[in-house]
Amino acid sequence: MEESSPMPAAAAGTQTVPFEFRGTGGQYFRIWIVNLLLTILTLGIYSAWAKVRRLRYLYGSTSLAGSAFEYHGQPLQILKGRLIAVGVFVIYAWVTQLWPLTILFFLPVFAFLMPLVIVLSRRFQMRMTSWRNIRFGFHGEYGGALATYVGWGVVAVITLYVMAPYWIYKRVRFLLVNTSVGTQRAAFATGPGRFFAFYFTALGLAIGAVAAIALLSGGIGAAFGAGGGPPSAGFAMGAGAFLILGLIAIPLAIGAYWERSFTNAIFGGLAIGPHRVNCRIRFGRLLWLYVTNVLGVLLTLGLFYPWALIRRLRYQLECMDVEVAGSLDEFTAAAAPDASATGEAIGEVFDVDFGM
Amino acid sequence: MIEGRYFDARTSASHPAQVEIGANGILRLVSSVELRQVPLESVSISDRIADIPRRIAFDDGAAFETLANDAIDAALDAAGRGGFSRRLVRWERRWAVALAALLAVAMASWAFVKFGVPALANVAARAMPASIDATIGSEGLELLDKTMLAPSSLPVARQEELRRQLRGMAASANDEHDYRLEFRSGKRIGANAFALPSGIIVVTDELVELAKSDAEIDAVLAHEVGHVRGRHALRLLLQNAGVAALALAVLGDVGSASSLAAAVPVMLVQAKHSRDFEREADAYAREWLRAEGLPETAFDDMLCRLAREDDEITYLSSHPPKDERADCKPARKSPAR
Repeated sequence: MEESSPMPAAAAGTQTVPFEFRGTGGQYFRIWIVNLLLTILTLGIYSAWAKVRRLRYLYGSTSLAGSAFEYHGQPLQILKGRLIAVGVFVIYAWVTQLWPLTILFFLPVFAFLMPLVIVLSRRFQMRMTSWRNIRFGFHGEYGGALATYVGWGVVAVITLYVMAPYWIYKRVRFLLVNTSVGTQRAAFATGPGRFFAFYFTALGLAIGAVAAIALLSGGIGAAFGAGGGPPSAGFAMGAGAFLILGLIAIPLAIGAYWERSFTNAIFGGLAIGPHRVNCRIRFGRLLWLYVTNVLGVLLTLGLFYPWALIRRLRYQLECMDVEVAGSLDEFTAAAAPDASATGEAIGEVFDVDFGM
Repeated sequence: MIEGRYFDARTSASHPAQVEIGANGILRLVSSVELRQVPLESVSISDRIADIPRRIAFDDGAAFETLANDAIDAALDAAGRGGFSRRLVRWERRWAVALAALLAVAMASWAFVKFGVPALANVAARAMPASIDATIGSEGLELLDKTMLAPSSLPVARQEELRRQLRGMAASANDEHDYRLEFRSGKRIGANAFALPSGIIVVTDELVELAKSDAEIDAVLAHEVGHVRGRHALRLLLQNAGVAALALAVLGDVGSASSLAAAVPVMLVQAKHSRDFEREADAYAREWLRAEGLPETAFDDMLCRLAREDDEITYLSSHPPKDERADCKPARKSPAR
């Protein structure tokens, strides 16, 4: 931040500016564990402060062109939202337990409420984010969200999920093109074709893997039956190890393929005004991260989790940069949307991260 | 003098700037675009977290950002505005504190899972009417009939005899459940007995044949009544929800691949809780035998015979080890195998 900005302000051509990430697993672990202790000691009240501290650390450790991102969520507002959310959930759980049939009433209500929740929580999340003192914004409306999430969802189901990739595409598009940095709107250039490609590739890989496992375990079963006597312990253990590895390693590999393709498709197609974002996550590296993270978390009974999260985040940001056209100094702040104060308060209630 | 960058409230242009917090409670900002002098109370200074940039926000939306965390802290101390966040940062910096916090969290989680979750689930279960039990796993028997079980070939007279036994037992259980005894041939599961939360108890023909006396069958029935009466299915559901809530609280937003690993402790705890329920049902069976003046050995003998029959495969995870549940005599080599 003290060092001078790496970009000449008046350059006419484009310049590639990388994202930087300075967070470390050790620091994040210590923040996490102190947060956790205070949350337990305060019977959960502190969790709102913990969330703000955690997010501020992650945002503040991420920077672009020498300026870090900032998270502006207020603990008291988040606490209020959480209390309301817990209350609503408890009432819902009780009512559906005592009168199970009321779920038939709740489900359609949820289907129409969910797009509203998504819009409000997204609006809240974006408003709480800033870079160089310019707040982000979200301009999606209920109608658009309803058409995107419910409308295209229905289409996906009717077509037996053949159109599911298009549904995913529309959701990503809805979230991104309605995002703004100050007054500058975002654009999304990735076409639906890429979503179809990786969706069906992943599906094919999954089906192929399941078929291979079924065939192999069938073969092992046949060996059991044909042998007559009990199979040797070594053989049984080998088969078991093979199946367990297959059941863990294959989902991990397909998961890594999916996340690599999905993340690259999202961020690789993102542009903020004239500035284009690049994202080039590589499958091999991501799979290696997945495997080592899962092993680390398993072997430490979960203690490795903060390091796992930081490693994952650092790798993604290493793969991302921005092709800056002109200058990053020209974002302008949007007028503060005082009018939607109540909407934002509701957004805090539903500050749920839906991902994409 | 604190070095940093100044942003006006309008654009993303960043201007080199310096800030000075005077002893008189006045904050002075010098930048290439603006000179500001405001009372310290009119700005909000973000709490320190590790070494991420610190932000001084002016009331008109402009902001000063700096990495000089120590200088800000010193200035705030001088102005008498330290506060709790200073202590937090010191804790977060030290590994010794992190380790102590880790121990405390581990102990609190352990105590919560061992005592808090079962107690809370018990209270919650008591608050729910017995009719809820019937909704848990109500399709379970239908599914089992299609996959693991076949119609019973036990003589009807014998079935009636055993049903009478259960009726007596249900009367002494004295709760709101509607006990009913069903017989099946245990195609895949062999000698076995289980109870649905609603009070339907299923016994396989193989188990009836395996028993050396009616007292042994009674012992098994009493064990199953113990499960139903203790509402173990509902409590296990509630306890799992409690453990999942704890895992969620501890791990926060569990991300992608790691959630697989986070599920493991939850599964381990569930296995432990269901073993506890087996012990509770065992205790109920023994108590019932004593009250009826039947020998407790009927329960031990039946359990040992079942364990031998099963080779302990199905009893491995969700049931306590048989040596702990029953005093088994050395097993004779079963001629059937």
